[in-house]
Amino acid sequence: MLRYVALRVLIALVLVWLVSTLVFLVLHLVPGDPAELLLSAGNTAPDPEAVAQLRSQMGLDRPVLAQYAAYIADLTHLDFGVSLRDQNPIAPELALRLPRTLELILAAAVIASLIGVPLGTLAAMRDGGWSEKLVSLLASAALSTPVFVVGTTLVLVFAQWLGWISAGGYVPLAEDPLRHLSLLAMPAVTIALPLTAVMIRMTRASVLEVLEKDHVRTARAKGLARGPIIRRHVVRNALVPVITVLGLEMGTLIGGTVLVEYVFNWPGLSGYLVRAVEARDYPEVVGIVLVISFLFVLLNLLIDITYAVLDPRVKLAK
Amino acid sequence: MSPVIEALELTRNFPSRSGWVGAKRDVWALRGINLSISRGETVGVVGESGCGKSTLGNILLGLDSPTGGGVRFEGKYLHDFKGAHRRQMRKRMQLVFQDPFGSLDPRRSVGAQIADGLRNHDVVPAAEIPAEVARLLTLVGLAPSVAPRRPSQFSGGQRQRIAIARALAPRPDFIVADEPVSALDVSIQAQIVNLLADLREELDLAMLFISHDLHVVRHLCTRVVVMYLGRIVEEGPAEQIFTAPRHPYTQALLAATPSLKRPAGETGKVLDGELPSPANPPSGCAFRTRCALATGDCASAVPPLETVGPERRTACFHADLTAGQGGLQ
Amino acid sequence: MTRAQRSLYIWLGLAAVLIAFPLLAPVLPLQPTIGMDIPHRFAGPSAANWLGNDEYGRDVLSRIIWGARASLAVAFGSAFCAAVIGTILGLLGGYFRGITEVLAVRSTEIVICLPPLLLAMLVITILGAGVLTLTVALTILFVPNYTRVVYAATLQTGGLDFVKAQEAMGTHPLKILARTVLPNIVPPLLVQFSLTVASGILLESGLSFLGLGVVPPAPSWGLMIRAARAAMDQQPLLLLWPSLALAGTVLLLNVICDRLQDVLSPKTAARGGAAWLRRQIKRTPDAPAPEVPLLKIEDLSVGVALEQGSMGLTKGIAFEVKPGETMALVGESGSGKTLTGLAMTGLLPNALSVTGGHAWFRTEAGVVDLAALTEEEFGPLRGNDISMVFQDAAAALNPVHRIGDQLAEIIQCHRPMPKQQAEAEVVELLRKVGIPDPERRIRAYPFELSGGQRQRAMIAMAVANAPKLLIADEPTTALDPTIQAQILRLFAKLKEDNPGMGVIFVTHNLAVVKEIATHVSVMYAGQVVEQGTVEEVFADPRHPYTKALLASVPESDAERLESIPGTVPQPGAMPEGCRFAPRCGHAAAACAAPQPLLDTGEGRTTRCLRWADLWKDVA
Ligand SMILES: Nc1ncnc2c1ncn2[C@@H]1O[C@H](COP(=O)(O)OP(=O)(O)OP(=O)(O)O)[C@@H](O)[C@H]1O
Ligand code: SF4
Ligand code: SF4
Ligand SMILES: [Mg+2]
Repeated sequence: MLRYVALRVLIALVLVWLVSTLVFLVLHLVPGDPAELLLSAGNTAPDPEAVAQLRSQMGLDRPVLAQYAAYIADLTHLDFGVSLRDQNPIAPELALRLPRTLELILAAAVIASLIGVPLGTLAAMRDGGWSEKLVSLLASAALSTPVFVVGTTLVLVFAQWLGWISAGGYVPLAEDPLRHLSLLAMPAVTIALPLTAVMIRMTRASVLEVLEKDHVRTARAKGLARGPIIRRHVVRNALVPVITVLGLEMGTLIGGTVLVEYVFNWPGLSGYLVRAVEARDYPEVVGIVLVISFLFVLLNLLIDITYAVLDPRVKLAK
Repeated sequence: MSPVIEALELTRNFPSRSGWVGAKRDVWALRGINLSISRGETVGVVGESGCGKSTLGNILLGLDSPTGGGVRFEGKYLHDFKGAHRRQMRKRMQLVFQDPFGSLDPRRSVGAQIADGLRNHDVVPAAEIPAEVARLLTLVGLAPSVAPRRPSQFSGGQRQRIAIARALAPRPDFIVADEPVSALDVSIQAQIVNLLADLREELDLAMLFISHDLHVVRHLCTRVVVMYLGRIVEEGPAEQIFTAPRHPYTQALLAATPSLKRPAGETGKVLDGELPSPANPPSGCAFRTRCALATGDCASAVPPLETVGPERRTACFHADLTAGQGGLQ
Repeated sequence: MTRAQRSLYIWLGLAAVLIAFPLLAPVLPLQPTIGMDIPHRFAGPSAANWLGNDEYGRDVLSRIIWGARASLAVAFGSAFCAAVIGTILGLLGGYFRGITEVLAVRSTEIVICLPPLLLAMLVITILGAGVLTLTVALTILFVPNYTRVVYAATLQTGGLDFVKAQEAMGTHPLKILARTVLPNIVPPLLVQFSLTVASGILLESGLSFLGLGVVPPAPSWGLMIRAARAAMDQQPLLLLWPSLALAGTVLLLNVICDRLQDVLSPKTAARGGAAWLRRQIKRTPDAPAPEVPLLKIEDLSVGVALEQGSMGLTKGIAFEVKPGETMALVGESGSGKTLTGLAMTGLLPNALSVTGGHAWFRTEAGVVDLAALTEEEFGPLRGNDISMVFQDAAAALNPVHRIGDQLAEIIQCHRPMPKQQAEAEVVELLRKVGIPDPERRIRAYPFELSGGQRQRAMIAMAVANAPKLLIADEPTTALDPTIQAQILRLFAKLKEDNPGMGVIFVTHNLAVVKEIATHVSVMYAGQVVEQGTVEEVFADPRHPYTKALLASVPESDAERLESIPGTVPQPGAMPEGCRFAPRCGHAAAACAAPQPLLDTGEGRTTRCLRWADLWKDVA
């Protein structure tokens, strides 16, 4: 097990490095000069002097390899440079906002698992029945409605019309725990909705598949009752592929936070990103993209480990 | 008579790691295999699963490359041929698979699949292809009118006939049949075994017949090699191997094979223990962990394959003790 | 056309109609999408403006139709470009492996480490917003998905025998890819395509919603929702229309994707999931229970429920097992051996059920009809009075639980006891079936055991509660010869230890029958055709099929094997009369009538009308 975890961590580190390199390459491989591109607005050519200044500020006048070395070296110190807009260092801002985004993601993942797995199991057990049809229909609808539509609708209904919760915002947990949670509820539910749908569909498919497996027949041949068979021999086995999908869906989930934080004014990383992109603040964008990608790699690492706990074949075979 | 195909000191190892950073281990699928097959000969290969039978077949056909040693086809080394030349060689050697359901492309008509071999190598002029396909189908006992049908419309036995027709299309000199009857029912199996026997006579083919069914091997093959963990442990004319086996493993294998002829109540001698992992075989004679005759010598050196009679070779230090034991009725 | 196909075409038709609107937008009589009409700001639906007017007084309907063009162009454009690039990379990587694989497949996987929306935003930061940028960004995003799918499918297809056959035939690798591999990966590719189009639409609208996608005043659904959000207290309907259009389109694509999957890879599992989870109707016994020593099967039939109605699979199975006897069921593939065994324990696959007959079985509480029990009623019998050993032990054991726990489960289920005591019993059991070092082995997972050991564990499970009847379905078929011999010996030993246990041993190997069984039922095409003690049946078969079967075993010294011409008839196409007639050398006119199981004396039966004629000469 330890060996397996060590290996996964190693792979995660390599991925982090590769992602950083990829981001660097994207920036340097696009045709044209980033400084020029960033400064050009509309069809007017940018002021050459400003371009030159920006180039030297961004270090673009140095050889590419030197830039790369400096870039990686800065990253190892978690130094993301300074913002172009206000010259503030980016790292502290990231450190402040990261936990808020993380909180949103975790809350959504928990909600989705708690609802998705039981509903998916139920749908599989009642396959073809009306309860399955209803659950599947709801899941399809949830999957097809973009998060920003859901979020905006929730704001319209619960904040504007009913006035139950405020439309958005953020209060630190330490300051007012209740208000914190009430503000967390809507964005977390919004992100959780499509994920729940995915979990339902996956769990249903996976449980249906496991139900066909020989070992379930063996469990019945032992004389076990339905309850223990479903719990010990069906759901337990069905979770393995569901976890894998959860990992694959992490990307969409994190992408969802971008929109949801914007809709609900949640001051996390992703809302910050939107403003950075709008302002085309290149160092900020790179910093946020990197941190979120690292987060993504980290979450997948956690999922790999869960996977090994659930399926003994994984850790021993690899 | 000069052999069609020869294996010279063939070894094949599949390096495997436990994980990305784990210790590297070699799985030796084949070790020092020497074998030659002449026209009109059918050599049976028997042994337990994982002992390297299919690997041997693939390497002889050039579908896999050996780690060491070489394969000579009509005196020329296969590894001297590359690219288009290699593909040219392929027409001389063909393969029949075990699974009659997986070996035909479900999306193409059986006629088209048989014709592939004819087209690839311009065996006959394009205009004569339909006639040739019809001839091949007749040869394997099917009606020529079935050519436009898809594989799904045939039973297992019929598919196996089609697969054989496809293998015969480029007019090969050498055929590897990898468990061609294992997936078939006894009554159908008999049809295919008869067909293979007829073809061997008619076309003067050299054939490697891989099977775990000793009765079928005995019936069809002229010569037999017995493999254990990547090595040949015994080799000789089929009838002699079955009536007078010399290697303790061959004897155990024959004893373990259920037989209708064995008098009721008398069960064969049962070999204890499991097949060791090919990644971690015992030192010396690989069979020593299960062998009743094993002594200290057996652990320290690998017994060489030595001649013990006309055309008979066996790899056992104590072959003198084994004469006259075992064998099938 | 199957139902799934019909459904797919209906949905595709609907999609085509909907796509026609934006495609035809330039020629449709739509109002302008740009320009202002301040007096009509936030006007509700009217005859002229069906869906009302937006915050600049522009017609919402025409903006929705025009807005679809942006979404669809970006989504289809990027999905298509990505499909082409990804397919090529995946095919090359999957087929050639080695360095090509690293370059083509592994490299694209780094992109997957970046959450999709982020990568798009990164590209937008550099290239600026706009339709073209979006298409480029989404193409980059989608390529890895296609590469992965195609790569996996190619690896899988490339390993198939028929691809290897092409290689062996000397076909050029590119030709193999195009002709043999590509058609086989089209199904997953199509599914992936519909998925990416849906995801493309979502991403495009999301970015436009953030103001980073389509540039105003060009219409786009995301932009419309963005604008409506700002004015939602004034005119909530403005939020509704683009949201409906967006969600509806994505839903339609998702439904098409599901239907596509149904059509392209039809599931073998019948709709309705596991039948045993549903409530079952109790069959009322239509005959009084006779006195039986252990098991007596009378006229048992099993059928499968199809869309067109029920189809018989086995018909009129009848035999008897007394305590201590071993009844071998022998016959060719598909003759109904497995089904007979499963029917005894109520474990028939989903669509299958017992359609007639009885299986009388003696329990402590009296004789019950196994053919009429419900899932609940079977509970106390299974694993206790009747137990089963399956052919494929690797699949029959649960891969995620330890061997010891799986064994303890069956003991504790029927004889509640503390965990420790159960564990001690498990160790004893494993020792009895010849698993070395059982104290440690109970902690092993099934995949850590060898094939032979797994089958031993399976057998240990079956005999854990000292059953009266043991049903073994080809327990040695998947094993190597020397291991097979060990397992057969283990069965012999178990029978010695439990002299009262009856065994039904399913096999297709006649020599194994001879080794293990006392009695044999020969099955053909869903029927028992001959029955008796092994010795007598083998020495003097009284049915032409049995005789032919024995002769086709390659153990004779004959130059050519006896083969039975033709093939076994398929269920649903069974001959009216004797089912063996089309292949029988002795068939006569009388054989066209259904054949009953005839008593031939000495406790033997045969389903051949002519047996007496045919065997007179021999006698
Ligand atoms: N789930 C199922 N749905 C429909 N038909 C089935 C199903 N299972 C089995 N059958 C059919 O029932 C018949 C008897 O099958 P069964 O599995 O009992 O044969 P068998 O004698 O055990 O064969 P084998 O030697 O291949 O194991 C066959 O025609 C088979 O195709
Ligand atoms: S060499 Fe030794 S161990 Fe090997 S088979 Fe001969 S006697 Fe047995
Ligand atoms: S009943 Fe007729 S057809 Fe059937 S086995 Fe007997 S002789 Fe042959
Ligand atoms: Mg079966």
